[in-house]
Amino acid sequence: MPRIGRLLHGAGLLAVFAVTIFPFYWMVSSSFKTQTDLLASPPVWLFTPTLANYADVFADQKVVGAIVNSLVVAVFSTGLAVVLGTPAAFALARYEFRGKSDLWFWFISNRFISPIVLALPIYLVAQNIGLLDTHLVLILVYITFILPIVVWICTDQFRSIPRDLEEAARLEGASQFDIFWRIYLPLGVPGIAVSAIFGFIFSWNELLYALVLTRRAVQTAPVVATSFMSGYELPWGKIMATGTVIVLPVTIFALLVSRHMVRGLTMGATK
Amino acid sequence: MSTARPRRSPSGYGRLTPLWFLAPAVLALLVIGIYPTLFAAVTSLRRYNLTRSRDGFPFVGLDNYQQVLSDPTFWETLGRTAKFFLCVMPFEIALGLGIALLLHQPGLGGLRALARVSLVVPLATTYAVVGLLGRLIFNRDFGIANSFIGLFGLPSFDWLGNSAGAFAAICVMDVWQWTPFCALIFLSGLSMVPVEIEEAARLETASKIALLRNVQLPYLLPGLTAMLILRSADVLKLFDVVFTMTRGGPGAATELISVYIQRVGFRVFDLGTASAQALLLLIITIILARVYIRFFYREIE
Amino acid sequence: MRPLLRNMGAAIALLGSALWAASPAAAQAQAWDIAKAAAPYKGTQLNVIFLDRPGYRAIIKLLPEFEKQTGIKVNYEIVPYENTREKEVLNFNSKGDLSIALVDLVWIGEFAENGWIVPINKLSGDPAITDPNLNLKGFFPLLLDAFGSWGGTTYGLPFDNYSGLLFYNKCMLKDAGFDKPPATWDELANTYAPKLTDPSKKQYGYALQSLRGETQSADSFMRMLWPAGGSLLDKSFRSNLGGKDSQAGLQFRQNLMKYMPPGVVSWDHAEAVNALAQNQVAMITEWSAFYSTLTDPKTSKLGDCLAVAPEPAGTAGRLPALGGFSLAVASQASEKEQKAAWIFIQWATSEAIAKPYVQAGGVSGRMAVYDDPAIKTAYQFVDPMVASWQKGVPEFRPRFPAWPAVSEIVAEFGSKMMLGEVTTEQGAKEIGARMEAILQKEGYYDGKKKLLQ
Repeated sequence: MPRIGRLLHGAGLLAVFAVTIFPFYWMVSSSFKTQTDLLASPPVWLFTPTLANYADVFADQKVVGAIVNSLVVAVFSTGLAVVLGTPAAFALARYEFRGKSDLWFWFISNRFISPIVLALPIYLVAQNIGLLDTHLVLILVYITFILPIVVWICTDQFRSIPRDLEEAARLEGASQFDIFWRIYLPLGVPGIAVSAIFGFIFSWNELLYALVLTRRAVQTAPVVATSFMSGYELPWGKIMATGTVIVLPVTIFALLVSRHMVRGLTMGATK
Repeated sequence: MSTARPRRSPSGYGRLTPLWFLAPAVLALLVIGIYPTLFAAVTSLRRYNLTRSRDGFPFVGLDNYQQVLSDPTFWETLGRTAKFFLCVMPFEIALGLGIALLLHQPGLGGLRALARVSLVVPLATTYAVVGLLGRLIFNRDFGIANSFIGLFGLPSFDWLGNSAGAFAAICVMDVWQWTPFCALIFLSGLSMVPVEIEEAARLETASKIALLRNVQLPYLLPGLTAMLILRSADVLKLFDVVFTMTRGGPGAATELISVYIQRVGFRVFDLGTASAQALLLLIITIILARVYIRFFYREIE
Repeated sequence: MRPLLRNMGAAIALLGSALWAASPAAAQAQAWDIAKAAAPYKGTQLNVIFLDRPGYRAIIKLLPEFEKQTGIKVNYEIVPYENTREKEVLNFNSKGDLSIALVDLVWIGEFAENGWIVPINKLSGDPAITDPNLNLKGFFPLLLDAFGSWGGTTYGLPFDNYSGLLFYNKCMLKDAGFDKPPATWDELANTYAPKLTDPSKKQYGYALQSLRGETQSADSFMRMLWPAGGSLLDKSFRSNLGGKDSQAGLQFRQNLMKYMPPGVVSWDHAEAVNALAQNQVAMITEWSAFYSTLTDPKTSKLGDCLAVAPEPAGTAGRLPALGGFSLAVASQASEKEQKAAWIFIQWATSEAIAKPYVQAGGVSGRMAVYDDPAIKTAYQFVDPMVASWQKGVPEFRPRFPAWPAVSEIVAEFGSKMMLGEVTTEQGAKEIGARMEAILQKEGYYDGKKKLLQ
């Protein structure tokens, strides 16, 4: 019986792995196919790989530039959101004050509004103060939807930190900031890491604002990816190669921090 | 309270302390976010079409709202979005829970780590690329989806060329992308169950279901609430995947509410109406979130 | 009355330019010294939006020469077609930096009525910045009229224009016993398609790209409407879709679907072109611009089997699809930029660069270049395209500002018709009611607005 259980367990885990990874594998393998192999019906599993698509992608200076732009925007917006969000999360986790739950909800609700109607006013303001087509405008805008996630995840994470640690520090005369800085931040690393991954993923992948607010200078990766399907042709190989190039950095980043994933996503399952 | 209030409360912080910690985040959101939101609110009260800017943008009261509420397409697309949510969410929750339980089960450490790590991949994939990938996978002739159903002896199916198929295809891509998110949240919840309690319960009952219901469930509910809130908000904003995959077609089969708002806002440029639509959606999302919190969120005893 | 007025307007514009071209000043100046004309504008930066299509790649290839000669810098931003109008509208509304407008055929009414683009006569009157060989008469009249003009005023010069053409697989037709392409839609549907279709072998006679969006409304819906004698609007701008001829056209499309691969409702240009290129369908009607994709061995298996003909004729004659762009000077630009922009636009559409432009992969709107035997023999699509541009309807898709909104409705119900979710009558009714509501709001029915399309 335990052996069968073990077998089933293993089979289940393998299935999870296979299904989650398959579309990704398909994208990567397609990026090494020639157009003829790509359009073969039924699709081919074995083929002679070609690097032509990647040569195409990297010949296009745009892609490299776009990756750099995305990196700058994602790193700064995520970093700033963490810097701003963790103290707020600390306050929400540790202090009692009137309207606390409403304030928490207000933070969260900043993620609710559709970007379609906010894009225009932001565009107009950015145009007026000369921020159009700069990294800064994207960083600022992305903060507004990363911050809620940071606040949410970190509040719950901080609440799971035992209070005794805090009491002990206070008896030794630590200030509130010390408590936040020396106890909560280090112990809250899993939550901070997870919210940073999500923040990074969100801003890395964001398309709508990036399309409206950028021109030549700071086109981000998703903007460039979609631009390849805008012509009259669909160069699938090139599109999939671009997709791979874009998805790879964020995947690597996510994998690096994934060990925190489990401890960090408690979403309030603690008291 | 009549005695002089100590500078610090017994808990060790002043009344203003929370403010110092909260102020940066609140200010940032206000400074960046409040103007666009107010602008949208004001715009929703005006006739505001960017391609008729010569006619000015006069205030028209609640006309836009009235128009939106009596617009059959708005309700159709909203209904379709609800249907989409109801189609994907049960799968995402059930599969997510199943995966979390598999990952939580002791043993097979290496394989578990591999499966857990792979969960990050769908989450990290750019939404627009997911849509393009969907178009490749579900292509009638050279798509891999048909090879798979071919394994079960089913005939080739024209996924994107018919209404039900296209709807199913966008659901499949969404389930693929977001089930891992649910799985990770559930896994987090499971890992919060104190080891002693779980061990004791395992000794008491052999039934996994009883264990799940009596011991683990309370730790999963907060995560479930979070999932429902985030997914509701995101489905109501879902645009990139659908647009790159089907453009809302064929017919109106995959025209979700955000695709429609985008069309009103950025094709017709009727921003007055689009703003009214978006604000109505915001209200719906807030109500939904409140309802979820009310009914699913339980503090753990 | 209305088309007459418009034609008269265009005729007057043409006449004016013809007179001007015939004036002694013009006759004297043979070669235009573009460097001299541009000297005052040296160092000016022009901003324009381009697409990722062959016509733009071709002009980008030639651009260094222009920049060297004039010292004017052209900054182009390549934008997906889907986002082009959005970018331009936002830019014009916020007094942005675009100095040249890329105007799709169907945007001209909107851009002109909003005053975002400058009529060319404001600039062409200034000999210091106007090419003596501007020769507006050298453009295909249909192109200048449809792409560049609105309400009798010329705003832009045709650039990157397409005609719908019939691309077909000569070898497949021959095997089925046909040694020439169908001349009429009727032939295509009733004689050719049945013999070329064999679903069991995944062989289809014809494919029509019908993806929801502009592809559905322009490439699919309108393409079948006009040749049958139908139209979107009647003379008073009421829906004409319920009319006998319009219904015949839409019904024809429904019937033709049995010879099309299933799923054409999800096909964009790329899929249709690819189906022909991979020998899965025998005939498609596509834009002339796809010629290079279909001849490229990397993307096409057709080889010598590819052939090109004008679109088949319907009961109302040959009315092929018309698409493409013009370049116009943006009103928001400073005077200096406007003048520099005018110099650039003339250069990009000039007869002088027409040949290198075509050889670089573009399609010129100039007639003369296609008489060149070298061009004729090198590019098979030239003859049928020139034939298609002899006559046509500029309002193939109405070019008024309401088109984007109308197009969305046509696209939605047009594809629903194809899916069989609504009948052609029901669909026509739905489109009609919604379209008329839009036009009502625009003020077309209470005399507030001239009935221009």
